[in-house]
Amino acid sequence: METIGLVLLLIALPVLFFLAARVGSGETGQLRSLPAAREVADTVARAAESGRPLHVSVGVGGVGGSVTAETWAGLTLLAELADEAAACEAPLVVTVADATVLPLAQDILRRAYDRHGHPEGYDPTRVRFVAPEPLAYAAGVAGLLKREPLSGSVMVGSFGEEYLLMGETGARAGVPQVVGATDARTLSLVYATADETFVGEEMFAAGAYTRRLAIQIASLLTQDVARWVVIAAIVLLTIFRVLF
Amino acid sequence: MAVLRRYLPTAVAISVGLFVLLRVFLPIGLLDAMGVYFINMAVLIAAIALFLGLINVLRVHSRRILDRQPQWFFSFVLMASMLIVLAIGLPALPGQPAGPAQPAVRWIFDNIQAPLQASLSALLVFLVVTAALRLSRLRSLESALMLLVVLLVLAGQVALGLVPLLANIKDWILDVPVMAGVRGILLGVALGAILTGIRLFLGVERPYGD
Repeated sequence: METIGLVLLLIALPVLFFLAARVGSGETGQLRSLPAAREVADTVARAAESGRPLHVSVGVGGVGGSVTAETWAGLTLLAELADEAAACEAPLVVTVADATVLPLAQDILRRAYDRHGHPEGYDPTRVRFVAPEPLAYAAGVAGLLKREPLSGSVMVGSFGEEYLLMGETGARAGVPQVVGATDARTLSLVYATADETFVGEEMFAAGAYTRRLAIQIASLLTQDVARWVVIAAIVLLTIFRVLF
Repeated sequence: MAVLRRYLPTAVAISVGLFVLLRVFLPIGLLDAMGVYFINMAVLIAAIALFLGLINVLRVHSRRILDRQPQWFFSFVLMASMLIVLAIGLPALPGQPAGPAQPAVRWIFDNIQAPLQASLSALLVFLVVTAALRLSRLRSLESALMLLVVLLVLAGQVALGLVPLLANIKDWILDVPVMAGVRGILLGVALGAILTGIRLFLGVERPYGD
């Protein structure tokens, strides 16, 4: 199994660099329309206009566990949002459920304010460690969504069924919500409560839609190539199984 | 100095990540030892991060109490509960284990925290109903389709074999289109996670550094 992983990695890297070169020269690189990515950009603008905070959650997972990739996608999106928020002085409230994410999220916010020349705008208590248990975290965030006058809520990361506590409270309070999750059961709850949804893998693409670096776009195209390879393999193996 | 601050975290992250990844692929003793060392370091850092989390909770909620923000009393209850549990659990009493295994801490967990979490879980049932009602306000063709599928599955579930056709429809929906969709999502997530890992190794996405 490890050998298959290594082979896949070694095949993916040259494809990625080849596509990055093509994107760089403008030969390819058109991204599909992703309504949730557009909505995320709008949430910061709304926060800046109204002066009301934008809530950002990176899920209930941490860095170092089985859901690191999802948490990382949330942190990447947080970095983009923090950058835009610092540029237009839109207030952010970030909630985390894992202690390993807390210093990362605080550092992301601090550097965003530093980059935009007003480090005094950074307030470390804008990043809140709510609770390490998913249900307790969800209850804490639900209280925040109900209590504070928020301009929106962006929740991208690893979520389980506890999401419903937050999602339903946010929907009842009329807070515009953009949510991304990878768990299939959670996605049905997300669809019922959120205004826009990053379905599964879409959350990993959110950063690319904001920064649009050639290598990021190329990685999405590589993902598409890999998807077609998987589809072809499934079809061929099914035919092989039926025939032999 | 600025160059060092910019590139050092990226270089450290990429090098450590490569060591841990190569350990999985190549069975070399030195790589294995280094990989285990880095993983142990990560565990230690995670433990320190928990301490930072504690300080963060104290800062956020003490400010809410001092500024008399709305519902500050809940912050007071939270901080008081936290300090009481710490005061009971931290000192090692003679003949008793310290920390989470301490009988008084276990009693608090079994009789306060566990029932509270069970109550919150029970609340999810009612929230599912209200979410389903929200879904019934048709927004698009997609939500209409989802509502139709939900109704068919529910009808198949509650028919309890009285209407075999409904039960068969429910089974077909769950076994074919739903399973296909779930597998599609899982494959997409796996590919997305791999490509995110590659972007991380290349230093393209680095929320930890400028």
